[in-house]
Amino acid sequence: MKRRPHRWLQAAVNLAIVVVLLTALSFLPPDTSLKDRQAAGVLKLCVPPSYPPLVTGDPAQPGFDVELVGAVAEQLGLRLLVNTLPSIGSDFNPRNWSLTRGQCDVIAGGLADTVQTRSFLQTIPTSAETGWVGISPTGQLPAAGGTVAVLPGTSGLDRLALSGWLREQQLAVVPTRNAQQFTEALQSGRAQAGITESFVAGALNLGPDQRIFWLPDDRFPHYRMALGMWKGDQTLKTAIASALGELERSGAVDGIESRYYVKQYITLSP
Amino acid sequence: MNTFVMALRGLYGVWLREITRATRDRAQLIGGISRPLIWLLILGVGLNPYFRGEVYGEVRYVIPYTYLQFLFPAVIVLNIMYTSIQFAVSVIWDREFGFLREVLVSPMPRWLILLGKVLGGATVAMLHGGLVLILARFADVTLSLEQTAVALVLMFVLAFGLTSFGVILAARVRSFEGFGVFSNTVILPLYFTSSSVFPLDPALTRAQQAVTYPEWLVFLVQINPITYAVDALRGVLINFNQFPPLWGPLVIVAMAVVFFIIALIDFNRQ
Repeated sequence: MKRRPHRWLQAAVNLAIVVVLLTALSFLPPDTSLKDRQAAGVLKLCVPPSYPPLVTGDPAQPGFDVELVGAVAEQLGLRLLVNTLPSIGSDFNPRNWSLTRGQCDVIAGGLADTVQTRSFLQTIPTSAETGWVGISPTGQLPAAGGTVAVLPGTSGLDRLALSGWLREQQLAVVPTRNAQQFTEALQSGRAQAGITESFVAGALNLGPDQRIFWLPDDRFPHYRMALGMWKGDQTLKTAIASALGELERSGAVDGIESRYYVKQYITLSP
Repeated sequence: MNTFVMALRGLYGVWLREITRATRDRAQLIGGISRPLIWLLILGVGLNPYFRGEVYGEVRYVIPYTYLQFLFPAVIVLNIMYTSIQFAVSVIWDREFGFLREVLVSPMPRWLILLGKVLGGATVAMLHGGLVLILARFADVTLSLEQTAVALVLMFVLAFGLTSFGVILAARVRSFEGFGVFSNTVILPLYFTSSSVFPLDPALTRAQQAVTYPEWLVFLVQINPITYAVDALRGVLINFNQFPPLWGPLVIVAMAVVFFIIALIDFNRQ
C-alpha cells in the first residue's frame, strides 16, 4: 500500500522554499557604495583640522578617529585619504560646512551619535563618549539669576534641550562662538560658569581653579562619538562596521584608545 | 466530552483548515514574497539614490533612518493587509461552494466559527508579515529576539483586525471578480496614505507640515488607522515614531475589537 505523505509536508516544503529564497535575496547588495570604493582603491575621510584627541593635526599621532579609520581602511584593503577641512565646525549649521559625497566617504572628528546627526548621516558609534559638561570653580552651576557662558560646539548635541533647561534654571546665557571667547568669558568673570561639549572642554586652556562636571544625566544623556557615512551607502557602512568589529575583537581598538586616553581625556570633578 | 472541549476542537478545526489551505497554496505564498520584493528590493533600492545624502546637512527627508529602513515596517504592514483582506475570498468561496452552510449547521456557535476563520486568516497574514522580517538584513534593520517577539504580537493583532475587516467586505461583495477590484481600491489608498512611503517629520508642527505637504494629505494620513499601525511597527523595529508611541498599539487593538464585532453582526445575518 502506498504511504500517504504527512499532511504538513507540502506546507513545510512551500515555506522552506520561500524562506530559503528570501534569505538568499537578503544577501543582495542594496547599493554600489562599497564596490565604487574598492574600484577606486581609496577611502576618503573628512575631519576638522583639530578636535583632540579624535583629530590632533599631528602627523605622528593623528588622533583616535584618524587612526581608527586608517585601521578600517587597511582591513578593507583600501588606502586612506584624509581630507582636513577647516570648514568643519566653522558654523552651527553643518550645511554651511559644504561637505559633499565627492569629498568624503566617512566624516569623523567630532560627530556625536545623536538623532540630529542621524537625520543627515548614517553613523557607527565608536568607544569615545561625549555630552554636555559644566565648568566652574565650585564644580556646579550658579543659582537662578546667575550667568553661564555657552559654547555649543558642532558635534550634534541637542542645543534646544540645553537652552530650554537653562531657561528653566533661570540662568542668563552668555553666547560664545569659539574657545577663545568662552575661556575669556570665564576668566573675566562675565560668566560664573560655562557649558560646552566634553571633548571641547578637555581641549580648553582652563585655569587650575576650574572644575569640569557632567550636566544632570536624566536630562542630558551621554552619547557615543561616531563615524558618519552618507545615508544610502549601506554596503560601505556594513563593511566598515564589520571591519571595526574585527578590530575590536583583535584588541586593536583598545590599543588605539589607550594611546589617546580617549576615556580619560577630560578630568571630571569627583 | 464536555461542551467546552468540543467547542475548542471545532475552533481548532476551522483554524487548521485555513492554515492548511493557505500554506498548501503556492500562489498565495508567491504573493507573500512578491510584494516585499517589489516594494523593498525594487522600489526601495530604486529610490535610494534619490533619498541618500549628497551634502552634509541637506537631505530630502529629515528622519534618523535610511529610506530602506523607513520603508521596511510599512512593507510588513502591506503584506499583512493584502493577505488579511484577500482572506475574504476564502469566505466568499466557502459561501459559494456550500462549505459555510455545512459548518453553520454544526453545533458550533456562529461567533466561534467566525473566530476560528479570523484566527486562521490572522495567523496566515502574520506569517506573511513575518516573511518580510527575513529581509531585515537587506534593509539594514537589526532585530533582537525581544523586538521580533513584540513585532509578531503587534502583527497578529493587526492581522486579526484586518481579517475581520475582510469579512466585513466579503459580506458586502457577492462575487470573486467584484472583490478583486474592491480590495485593491481599499488596500492601496490605505497603504499610500499611511505615511508608508513618505514621512511626516514629527519635529514639525501641523502648520510646518502643511508647507511640505498639502493639508488635505496630512489630514488623510492622520485619520488613516493604518498610519498608526505602521508607526507602531516602526517604533518596535527601528525605534522611530512619528506619533506618540502608545497610539499605534491602541489603534491596532481598537481596530481588532471593532472590526470583529461588526464582522460578527454581518456573519450572524448570513
